[in-house]
Amino acid sequence: MSTIFPKEANKAPIQIVIALLIVGATVTAGFTYYLTPKYARVGYQPIQPVPFEHSLHAGELGIDCRYCHSQVEKSGHSNVPSTNTCMNCHNQVQILSEKLQPVRDSFASGEPIPWVQIHKMPDYVYFNHSVHVNRGVSCFECHGQINEMDVVRHEKPLSMAFCLECHRNPEEKLRPLDQVFNLDWRPESKEAQLKDGNLMKEHWKVNPPTSCSGCHR
Amino acid sequence: MKKFLKHPEPNESDLKGPHYWRSLDELAETDGFKEYLHREFPEGASEIEGVNRRQFMKVMSASFAFAGVGLTGCRRPEKYVMPYSKQPEEIIHGKPLYYASAMPHRNDPVPLVAETHEGRPTKLEGNSLLKGSNGSTDQFAQAAILDLYDPDRSKKTVQEGRTLSEAQRTDYLVSVSKKYAENGGEGLAFLAEGIPSVTRAAQLKQLRAKLPKAIWAEYDAIDTSNPDKAAAKVLGKSVRPVYDFSKAERVLSLEADFLYEDPNHLQYTRDFSKARRVEDDHASMNRLYAAESYYSITGGMADHRLRIASGDIPAFTALVAAAILEHSNESAPPDAIEALKSAGQGLDVDPHWIDECAKDLVEHSGHALVVAGPHQPEIVHVLTIAMNDVLQAQGSTVNYLAIPENTALSISDLAQSIEQSQVKTLVVLGGNPVYNAPADLKWAEVQDKIDEVVRLSEYFDETSEKSDCHINAAHFLESWGDAVAFDGTVLAIQPMILPLFQGLTECEVLEMIVNGEAKEGYSIVLDAVTGTLGGDAKAFEKFLHDGFWAGTAKSPVSVSLNRRAAGNILSSSGIAAQNLSASNLELRFIADPSLDDGRFNNNGWLQECPDPVTKLTWDNAFLVSPKFGEELGIVSGNTLVKVVSKNPNAHKRGKEQGHIIEVSVGGKTLKGPAHVQPGLPDYTIVVSLGYGREVTGRVGEGSGFSAYSLRTSTGASSISGVTARTVGGIQQLADTQEHWSMEGRAIMREANLDFYEEHSDFVDHMGMESHSPPILGLDEQGGNRRDTVPLQETILAGKENRGNSLYETPKFTGDHQWGMSIDLNTCTGCNACVIACQSENNIPVVGREQVLRGREMHWIRLDRYYSAGPGKDTNEIPANPQVSIQPMTCQHCENAPCESVCPVNATVHDEEGLNVMAYNRCVGTRYCANNCPYKVRRFNFFDWNDREMDRVYEGPLAPRGMDELKKMSKNPEVSVRMRGVMEKCTYCVQRIQAAKIDRKVAARDSGDIKVPDGTIKTACQQVCPAEAIEFGDLSDPHSRVSKLKESNRDYGVLAYLNTRPRTTYLAKLRNPNPLMPDYYDNPLSHMEYNEASGHAEGHGESHADAEHATEDSGHNGH
Repeated sequence: MSTIFPKEANKAPIQIVIALLIVGATVTAGFTYYLTPKYARVGYQPIQPVPFEHSLHAGELGIDCRYCHSQVEKSGHSNVPSTNTCMNCHNQVQILSEKLQPVRDSFASGEPIPWVQIHKMPDYVYFNHSVHVNRGVSCFECHGQINEMDVVRHEKPLSMAFCLECHRNPEEKLRPLDQVFNLDWRPESKEAQLKDGNLMKEHWKVNPPTSCSGCHR
Repeated sequence: MKKFLKHPEPNESDLKGPHYWRSLDELAETDGFKEYLHREFPEGASEIEGVNRRQFMKVMSASFAFAGVGLTGCRRPEKYVMPYSKQPEEIIHGKPLYYASAMPHRNDPVPLVAETHEGRPTKLEGNSLLKGSNGSTDQFAQAAILDLYDPDRSKKTVQEGRTLSEAQRTDYLVSVSKKYAENGGEGLAFLAEGIPSVTRAAQLKQLRAKLPKAIWAEYDAIDTSNPDKAAAKVLGKSVRPVYDFSKAERVLSLEADFLYEDPNHLQYTRDFSKARRVEDDHASMNRLYAAESYYSITGGMADHRLRIASGDIPAFTALVAAAILEHSNESAPPDAIEALKSAGQGLDVDPHWIDECAKDLVEHSGHALVVAGPHQPEIVHVLTIAMNDVLQAQGSTVNYLAIPENTALSISDLAQSIEQSQVKTLVVLGGNPVYNAPADLKWAEVQDKIDEVVRLSEYFDETSEKSDCHINAAHFLESWGDAVAFDGTVLAIQPMILPLFQGLTECEVLEMIVNGEAKEGYSIVLDAVTGTLGGDAKAFEKFLHDGFWAGTAKSPVSVSLNRRAAGNILSSSGIAAQNLSASNLELRFIADPSLDDGRFNNNGWLQECPDPVTKLTWDNAFLVSPKFGEELGIVSGNTLVKVVSKNPNAHKRGKEQGHIIEVSVGGKTLKGPAHVQPGLPDYTIVVSLGYGREVTGRVGEGSGFSAYSLRTSTGASSISGVTARTVGGIQQLADTQEHWSMEGRAIMREANLDFYEEHSDFVDHMGMESHSPPILGLDEQGGNRRDTVPLQETILAGKENRGNSLYETPKFTGDHQWGMSIDLNTCTGCNACVIACQSENNIPVVGREQVLRGREMHWIRLDRYYSAGPGKDTNEIPANPQVSIQPMTCQHCENAPCESVCPVNATVHDEEGLNVMAYNRCVGTRYCANNCPYKVRRFNFFDWNDREMDRVYEGPLAPRGMDELKKMSKNPEVSVRMRGVMEKCTYCVQRIQAAKIDRKVAARDSGDIKVPDGTIKTACQQVCPAEAIEFGDLSDPHSRVSKLKESNRDYGVLAYLNTRPRTTYLAKLRNPNPLMPDYYDNPLSHMEYNEASGHAEGHGESHADAEHATEDSGHNGH
């Protein structure tokens, strides 16, 4: 046989195995990294045209979410505030701040501020904010601890599995309506949450859709 | 103090250069990659042609590899949220706003409520505050939204090839004004459409005061003024007959199409269906006699339909009038009866038909009504008024409303003035006279004789081409204005959006020419309306809010018939029966059911909307009777197959082959394809107007032929002395329903009213399910389950299994259980639902070629069946069949056959009984469409939304992307589907979800989450003028839909397949007069069914096995 195969050929099987392993590992790693919702979503933290700090406004100053996101209880979309909302305060406060120049420009020119979108649903998903916040689902459940973020980042995967987890067991997340916008509220214990959650689910007739038509139209 | 981190300052490279999230994009954009992509791929793509597999594999694997490295598809593109700088007060992002407006349309404007999303109108609905149309609309109003966003609309003002800016345009119009201010308007003429409005009336007053010598003419290709003219002559006042069909128990229609084409048809349809609707415990319905040439929607609803040439209607009317006079108690002057009889002499109509019909009408005096088509000559209307007078209809079924006299000149008068060189400047406001003026006027040549023609139009069309200055007009959804409804109510027209192309409105142009200054549309309308109707700005605001000025509807005036005047008109009318034959044919012109007079020619929705009876799309055709078709040699007379169940129009692989015929009249000829249409008089050819436009947009280009070239001032509705011959050649016609017959199956269930009274459960004794084991509706004893156990207590409560299916059916645990009921008894088949659905659900237009391949996308279609009765299925094509129309859409079967075959669970049931379709999951196997017995699933064979209609076949590198304008017409609440996915009716799931969410938002921490009955209206239901569609919650036994489903006429189509459809139908009833010569003791479809299935009369006894075998074989055939 040695006349047919050179000596190096003895290494071939192990080389092939190693090569396959490397290819396999690369492919697996590539898929996990690039193609899972985590990559495309969680951790996304783009730089915004105005360095707005939620931690300062919603956290330290304690401004209610709904001061700026004023239509969240009425509409499917939670609005990003218009420039005039910013100017309600900033015509008095920090009027010379350089960071606020784009805001003042926008107010003067009428051009919108191009905020970079962070939480993006696919086009075929019809998520509705109003029905969630009016029925005991807090902002916190999907957006995380926004009031402590300096730069907002994508906190939860917002994948279909993530939605369904709650839609199947809403009692784990429901909270009293007056605590929906309190991002620091926590249930006393898991048991207490389940007990109260189940009561709320029953009394409010919370029956979230788990079939396609709930979100896809 | 809480410590918080400093926000990282974005540095220059962050803002400008590539940063983390874009880094791989950059990689993808490296020069090497770009070069490879640009050079190799197109090269490789073109080489695939030569079946070089090796090359193909090389190229594809290389491109896949590069795509993989770049991972461009996985990158998250940076998108922006652009909030308002200053938030407008009313706008809540994501919530539509609704504004009242109206669509001007001849003398019959449609009151509307427009749905706008962030200032962009997307859907039009009827204004339910108005009593008449009561929230219904028609297909034209529904399709208007597409016209607004039509990229082919005229976008600029052009004067002699020069584009004018807005300021130049104003200067130009003011200069016209200055030219005529001195001489009182001598030499100035206007030609407008006859659209009555308060603003126009006020401006006309100013015009007459300032420019008294100016000529004002009006022209509508479809003239509907004859009834008014006749009324003025014999009633002594300027009045308009308005009918109340809700009180009419017996109706005779003299070629009137009051359910579809004629003015005020929305109100008439609603009233007519009120008198036609049958409740279980209240079995009375109206009876409609119709005499007509064309098979119209109204004729399809008729209990007795007489096919008669259009030109014979006057003679026929005279005979009916004579018979009514004879039978009435009134002592009618015998000479009047004689005169009428002699006028109708020689007419070949069964005298019994006329006699019994007249008797029936007279017996119902006070609740009877005669209606004539507005296109019929004045004498027909004079006789109609006289007959209604004898039938004591005034105050009951007919009211006469005072209308202002119309002093406008006709287009013929105007043409005469032009010939006499009295016109130097002509302003054409809308319309399209070069295309649609009577052929004998030779308008194009007449218009050429004028020095200066100014044209205001939404499209650059035939008339614009022959004008010196074309001004682009604003769409009515971009305009301020008002319109006067048929009953005199003043409707508001307000803009939903600023003019997309800076178009002008009629009132703005008139203002500039009359007063010499530019004024905003708003103030012109405000001044005119408050100036005429009184009231202040506050009242005007209410006017805009409600969409109409309350109390402006005219109240009926009492009038009395001047019999002598009527007699004089009769004696001078020269009525005579035409003697039609193959060498003396009649050509009847109708406004096209989809394109009207041609104004909607560039509207893809309407072009693709099947004609209600012929089911033709994209083209018109000469409709010929089967008999004449045989004489022409385009129908083979003697075939061995049963022609009744075959379409006489030859089909090759599903494509209709229309033989080209040449029609000649008065020295002019016109060629076009022929379509054999049963139900026409033997020697009448029907042709629809509105096609064959020469200068139109990309959609309307090349569709059909223009019949205006044969239409003259005197023969505007029909013309005789026509000859026709085949000239060889075939044109393929895109019809959507080639099959005519139900093949003896009980898809459409019909009975006569008296039969129904005796056999109230007749629907349960038709179809296979009357033999099958208990499934829907029947229990073990064969009794009707609905009578004993309410649906809500058994199946919907989850106590009972659905239909013993092997397929695991979902538990219907939702808070609501949706269902639909369609009343076949009131549905007229008007197509409004088809377009409403298209508008609501972003349904694409596919084009003629794809319709020919059967790829139309309509989610709801109207199946039209002809039935000729038993014994006729030899080898004769039925000359006068009955028509039955059935809306067919996804039935939302509880045991859906489509679901069990889907390999990827893209179509499944939800908890509330909807058969839902997840587009993003669908891989396009089309198994579901194959397995759907109702054939209601639609497949996206191409990227209809992403490609131009004529470029769908091009490769992956062809230009794609939707026009920005077309994007604006889409409903943001509904996904726009891509190539390769299946779609179908969703019961307007977006509306259901919106209503449920609204309810839950209002409920907050209470359990009050049930959506009240009537909150949700599907698009088809909302638009329906006949209120034939009801949608609602079946789990609520008191909902309207539950009540309807308890009706004994309720049945499911093909329910024997155990599909358990959530959409069920109420059987159609007919109400023929037993004394009539053409009486049938069962609707013809019912007779056909009985014969084909071997069911004898009085069905209900035990059946022999042989009968089942017959029926089985009948089903297996399909």
